[in-house]
Amino acid sequence: MQNFTKRFNRYKYPYMFIAPALLLLLTFSIIPIIIALVISFTNIDLAGLANYSNIEAVGFDNFMNVFKDPVFLKSLYNTMFYVIIGVPLVVMLAMGAALLLNYGTGWLFKTFRVVYYMPSITNIVAVAVVWGYLYNSHYGLFNHMLSWFGIPAQQWLNDPTLAKLSLILLAVWKSIGLNMIIFLAALQGIPRSYYEAAEIDGASKWKKLIYITVPLLSFATFFVTITTLIGWIQFFEEPLVMTKGGPLNSTMSMALFIYNNGFQLSNFGYAAAGSFVLFFIIIVVTILQFAVKRKDVEY
Amino acid sequence: MLAALMVFSAVLAGCSGGSEKADEGSKGKQELKVWLMGDETDETLIKQYEEKNPGVKVNVQSIPWGSAHDKLLTAVASKSGPDVVQMGTTWIPEFAQAGALLDLTPYLDQYPNLKPENYFDGAVQTMSYDDKIVGIPWYVETRVLFYRTDILAEVGYPEGPKTWDDMKDAGQKLAARGNGNYAITIDAKDMNYLSMFAWQNGSAMIDENRKPHFNEPEYMGAMEYLKSFYDTGMTPLASDLDLFAAFKDGQFPMFISGPWMIQGVKDKAPEIEGKWATTTLPAKETNTSFLGGANMSVFSSTKNADEAVKFISFMSEQDSQLTNYDVSKNLPAIKSAWEDKRFEDPIFATFGKQLEHAQPVPFIKEWDAISQEAIGAFERIAVGGADIKTEMDQLNAKATEILSK
Repeated sequence: MQNFTKRFNRYKYPYMFIAPALLLLLTFSIIPIIIALVISFTNIDLAGLANYSNIEAVGFDNFMNVFKDPVFLKSLYNTMFYVIIGVPLVVMLAMGAALLLNYGTGWLFKTFRVVYYMPSITNIVAVAVVWGYLYNSHYGLFNHMLSWFGIPAQQWLNDPTLAKLSLILLAVWKSIGLNMIIFLAALQGIPRSYYEAAEIDGASKWKKLIYITVPLLSFATFFVTITTLIGWIQFFEEPLVMTKGGPLNSTMSMALFIYNNGFQLSNFGYAAAGSFVLFFIIIVVTILQFAVKRKDVEY
Repeated sequence: MLAALMVFSAVLAGCSGGSEKADEGSKGKQELKVWLMGDETDETLIKQYEEKNPGVKVNVQSIPWGSAHDKLLTAVASKSGPDVVQMGTTWIPEFAQAGALLDLTPYLDQYPNLKPENYFDGAVQTMSYDDKIVGIPWYVETRVLFYRTDILAEVGYPEGPKTWDDMKDAGQKLAARGNGNYAITIDAKDMNYLSMFAWQNGSAMIDENRKPHFNEPEYMGAMEYLKSFYDTGMTPLASDLDLFAAFKDGQFPMFISGPWMIQGVKDKAPEIEGKWATTTLPAKETNTSFLGGANMSVFSSTKNADEAVKFISFMSEQDSQLTNYDVSKNLPAIKSAWEDKRFEDPIFATFGKQLEHAQPVPFIKEWDAISQEAIGAFERIAVGGADIKTEMDQLNAKATEILSK
């Protein structure tokens, strides 16, 4: 005990320094997660919330039922669809935009940094209104543009497959900006000397890009991939504001499924079970990523 | 750390500052916390009430409908709700069952305004849960048929279709115009819409013994009738036409909706003034419409129950109901208010007539969950081309499961 006090005294200041962050993390993340875990084994609903004596433990029922729920399985498939198409697109386009913008420093380049970043800081509801009009099958700009080439009008948000792609397009457009900034920062951190050495050796622009820039961006790429992946597994706002999961649940994502069950239907226990499945998937995917990540490139 | 602490204390100061200010305003006065739903609330009635009751400060908070359900959940969970709350009628069973709404039965003798006989039959059905009066109708709404008199006259129905067969006949003639012209919109995402047709065909959907009747001819017939609208081109499978523009241009010469559309049509399509009207819904067995609206309830966590009930009683007076109609166009829930000359305009009078044949959705807390399933089933039938009988058997099984939980 004395030993403990002594050690605590010794590290008192470091502990105090991390205390605020730790406290915030505990109250707003860790404790809620633990509560959610407990809830996922109960049948808590609104009546349970008002009076705790109405809550019953149901064991693994919620988890069993969620995997029998066709809507949940569909949302699982849809989420996979979003991630597989969306994440590579975001990483590639963000990197591409950053590389292009890094070629110059003139006012045009600076303006375009703002232009690309703008969608990230625009409120999703405002975005949804505008994109809703773009996608409108009667008055929408997209269908109008298609009509110039004689292509028939598309049901952007009403066709089950096309609706998923429309949401991906919107989400990609929205998330390029933030990731582009990360890539830009990483690009500025690559020492000029590598390029100079390569130039002396007569390397072409393309070779410099492939052998110097892209490998040295690997840490930024890794970071962007992980954050984007986690973000996309929790794909939520876009289907909520654009389609509410329709048509025929074809745009229902896991996060939206959880929201609907938890906040629309008040099946908190069931929703908590769903969110733990989601939690588990995110953990597994992230661990996998760390496992397959190659060692940092050192020159 | 210091910085963090400073931020903390600043935040805390911000919070406490806010509440102090609220207290100051009501010093020496009794404060009544009222939650009203909607994006903005007209405070005319609140001011009137404060004038009549100088000892009371009414603290109104308007909550957008979209976030109201979440907000009510939080209030129940934290047991710190308002005193008076406006409830969407379909939410009442859920919250009443959770014990969040105070039983108002003991107050009825003292405040005769609250007695059920003042209200439309349909509205009375939303007042009680488990034999307790938990909500007093505040305003009502019902759905009627809006139609273009000129276009319907061309196909031989200047008064609008009176029966399901008329509707079908008129609809097919209207659809035959082609060129992106249809007959009517179907709001298939709204269970209230599907319910109206089910009732008209004689289906109760869920009976008093909590038994679902979805896979029976009455309900299936209604779904089949609606599906035929899509099959015959009366209604497009997917449409994001702007309803006002389409009504004006005649693409949709008919639609079924509520009183809030009247002002919309007047404002957004002034060109067709005099060329449109409202009428009661076409009948099959009945012409039952959906009765919705909002009730006023007292949260059971309140400490000023007496004051809260008094406030509700004031809001239920005929004058208050008419004032509410004037400022926000919400239709009065008390029957006597409809004798007022404001409702002589035939476009509005239709609503009064329809209210006599309107009912709320089944008053059970599982209704939301069941209606999600029913909407999904209809979507699979209408858009996905699934077999009606199979879907309805599944729906019935699912509903039975939800109800037996």
